[in-house]
Amino acid sequence: MTTNKNSFEMDTGRRHFLAAIGGAGMLIGLSGTAYALRDEKIYIKTSGGALVVDLKKCMGCGTCMTTCSLAHHGKASVSLSRIQITQDVFKSFPQDIEMSTCLQCDDAPCVAACPVNANKASEDFGFVRDIDPVKCIGCMQCIEACPQTPKRVQWNPITRSAQKCDLCLNTPFMEEQGGIGGVQACKKVCPVGAIGFITELPDQSTPKSYVVNLRNENWAKTGKTIED
Amino acid sequence: MTKLKGFAGKILHIDLNNLTHHVLPTQDYYEWGGGHGFGAKLFWDLSEDIEVVTDGRDPRNVITIAGSPFSGTNVPSAGGRCEVTNMSVGLIPRNRFTRSNFGGHFSSMMKHAGWDAVTVTGKAPYPVYIDVRNDHVMIRDASHLWGKDTHETQQIIQEDVASVEVASGWNGQLDGNSFGRTTQKASVLTIGPAGENQSALGCLIHGAGNAAGQGGNGAVFGSKNLKAISFIGTGAVDIADPEALIKARFKTRDFYAADIDKSAEFAFPSLGGKPEAITFSTMPTGHRVSSCHGCVNGCKQRNAIGYGNEVTCQTSVWYLGAVRSYKFGGNAKLSLAKTGVELTEDSLYAGDLANKLGINTYPIMGLIPWLQKMHAKGELGSGKEIHSELPYERLGTREFADQFCQAIATGTDIGAYFINGIVPGIQQLGHSADVDNGTLHYPYYGMPEHGYDPRAELEWGYATLMTDRDMNDHGLNWIYWTVNLAKLEGIDFPIPAEVLASRFVEKMAPYVQADEVSAMDYASHNMYSEVLARQVQWINHYGRFWKNSALMCDFRWPDCVNTHREDLRGATGNDEVGEHVWWNAVTGEGISYVDGIERGRRIFNLDNAIWALQGRHRDDAKFADYIYDHKMTHNKLPTYLWPATNGAGQWDYREMMGRQHSREGVEEWKSHYYRAEGWDTATGWPTRSLLEGMNMKDVADRLEQAGKLGNEEV
Repeated sequence: MTTNKNSFEMDTGRRHFLAAIGGAGMLIGLSGTAYALRDEKIYIKTSGGALVVDLKKCMGCGTCMTTCSLAHHGKASVSLSRIQITQDVFKSFPQDIEMSTCLQCDDAPCVAACPVNANKASEDFGFVRDIDPVKCIGCMQCIEACPQTPKRVQWNPITRSAQKCDLCLNTPFMEEQGGIGGVQACKKVCPVGAIGFITELPDQSTPKSYVVNLRNENWAKTGKTIED
Repeated sequence: MTKLKGFAGKILHIDLNNLTHHVLPTQDYYEWGGGHGFGAKLFWDLSEDIEVVTDGRDPRNVITIAGSPFSGTNVPSAGGRCEVTNMSVGLIPRNRFTRSNFGGHFSSMMKHAGWDAVTVTGKAPYPVYIDVRNDHVMIRDASHLWGKDTHETQQIIQEDVASVEVASGWNGQLDGNSFGRTTQKASVLTIGPAGENQSALGCLIHGAGNAAGQGGNGAVFGSKNLKAISFIGTGAVDIADPEALIKARFKTRDFYAADIDKSAEFAFPSLGGKPEAITFSTMPTGHRVSSCHGCVNGCKQRNAIGYGNEVTCQTSVWYLGAVRSYKFGGNAKLSLAKTGVELTEDSLYAGDLANKLGINTYPIMGLIPWLQKMHAKGELGSGKEIHSELPYERLGTREFADQFCQAIATGTDIGAYFINGIVPGIQQLGHSADVDNGTLHYPYYGMPEHGYDPRAELEWGYATLMTDRDMNDHGLNWIYWTVNLAKLEGIDFPIPAEVLASRFVEKMAPYVQADEVSAMDYASHNMYSEVLARQVQWINHYGRFWKNSALMCDFRWPDCVNTHREDLRGATGNDEVGEHVWWNAVTGEGISYVDGIERGRRIFNLDNAIWALQGRHRDDAKFADYIYDHKMTHNKLPTYLWPATNGAGQWDYREMMGRQHSREGVEEWKSHYYRAEGWDTATGWPTRSLLEGMNMKDVADRLEQAGKLGNEEV
């Protein structure tokens, strides 16, 4: 295994942070931590990016999944992938495919659930929500907390820790720099360009807002719909 | 040999006689690569009596379904193919060890479950299916599945396998002493009623429409009382150099594959082909292109109309001629000259029907116009010379397709004649002359023409004669499609014939030199040349390793011509993204492109040794009479242009229609081929020196014992 290209600088521990609120809550958000105060509520700062998908463009090859697991773990696997493409080949288009990516939620319940601050959002890396496998104690509370189906935080049975999409921040087996501002392996490898990257998170009320139309007139020239 | 990465490490041997399973270490089979190489060696090792088994439905038959180091990885258009090998059903003049291949996600799931291959021997005392969940193997009662179609069978098994949810959307599977998780459905390979009834026309189906059928694979499952094999895996494939693998895949994406966001212009359809469903009638826009695991650009589709998912390529057109005939008149022969959307839905419906019943659509396509003709002559129908209650006056409708497919799958009504294959059925009906004179297009071994007449597309016919079945290798064949569709659309093909020929020949090492462009010259004056024998040798050896064993997709590899490259030179054999680059990144070996082809030569020679033991002789390798006796007059496209020179040596795309073979010429070509391989020119059998030169002394000894060792050339 090669050395991680990214050196992690851990942000303040959540329990420490919560204790500090009592005395100096107004300082939150001013010192480069991952947390901010808005409307009298504490928020984890918004991720600087997220993946979006085109469910009508995906061809179900799974290349994104095996490339994801290769980039992160050096192994070709579907279970270890942080993007999950699920298919029912007997269903009609477009209900036959679901693309499940981490939404990098604004309120990040998986981050909030972590008791040891292994699941975190660091300013150094654009507040992408990611999990430090060394710090993770394997309690699975972040998996439970993820509100999506399928869960976007996964259990890694090899490391016995949770993992999630970090936008390729920690990809020791990919030559390119990952993370926000870098390369996302799944997006780059997708043969048909069914995965996009955005820097402004969409409406948070529904995961459907992460489903976009990435098809142009060339798609139509090959006889397929470009309608939403 | 050092333990190689890329392999799961285990081969699953199922003994249905005793309802037990055993684990064979993959390490013992490394040198055979995977896929076909595994299948051939396992057939050699596990067959009780190669010489005496004459039908694939014999319980002693050994059927192997094998992946490769590439299975379950992101090697472009190689991660999802799967090879099937077994003794055939329904071929003439005799059955033989043969192969088929299918795509989808079966081999990738098998690998992720921790298995490189599954090989099945014996016959179960009652219907069973094999249920593999990681390393947990169960041989289970299939009585509740017997009689069900291929789609329903898969859905029932998938629901059962995914019964334990451990997190929302994730199901749990035992993995040793641990518990793995997956969002995926089990990958299932199954037969339908056609296979259950042991019809030679029965095939294996995985997913909605991934099929393996040539050689009667469905009948082999049925004869073993084996309904299905299911894998679910939550593991991973270890990769020797994951960084190199990702880098090469990115390069492929950026420089060799079609980028549909940037252009929908013409692209030569190997590795650079566009993501487009290969259905030959116009598709409604409400569909997606779908693909096998790891594909660089897919060729299948799933539809909004509610049926016809993954009905691709020939399966999408087996009934097209009939549909056109019913709607617009004329005969039911396949023609792709006009394929409007009004023909599509009924064609997809018929394709779906065949997939559900597990019917191999190649052989039945050629039968349809013959039935139409016999009915028109008054010789077929209720109370006629050939009695049948099917509604032939409605041939071309869904109603007829329903009844016809049921009859074929169950061996009833007209299907009773064809349970052992189309040509044996025609012979039984007393109409052999229609096979001999080319009314029926079954040019070799009782198998249907793939769509590429041997009188025009020489390599297709020759390679078939030298192997076990319709060769089904599109490496050169994309020339036919690109050139002739361009002609049909009235546009000039953008690559001059001589340039195209040169690009192909450059990749044919070690058998053809880069400047021997005549290896692609299909002119009549070059039909029986020695250089064409070496060209076919390259096809066979390249195919046996890189396509049939390493399991690179036939539609995408070799990549000889790539229109995304300025010099038109494809990925094949190059040190950037060529075949060996992937092999070395995955396994950690350090082989060359030609090393792979040499491995293919060895696998091919083991095949030939098996065929020799099974009775094969030079005299078997011949076309049906019409290929020699009649000129080619029909093709599904109006033209059959191919690179060729004229008498003055000038290259162009020249018409191959109107040509016929001569028996003497084909025999002359065969002698060239046997000499190139080092086989006995009188028998076609391999010699001791050849086999020992490839470290197969044991094979030579066995052939000698059986009196099937070729004589050394003097």
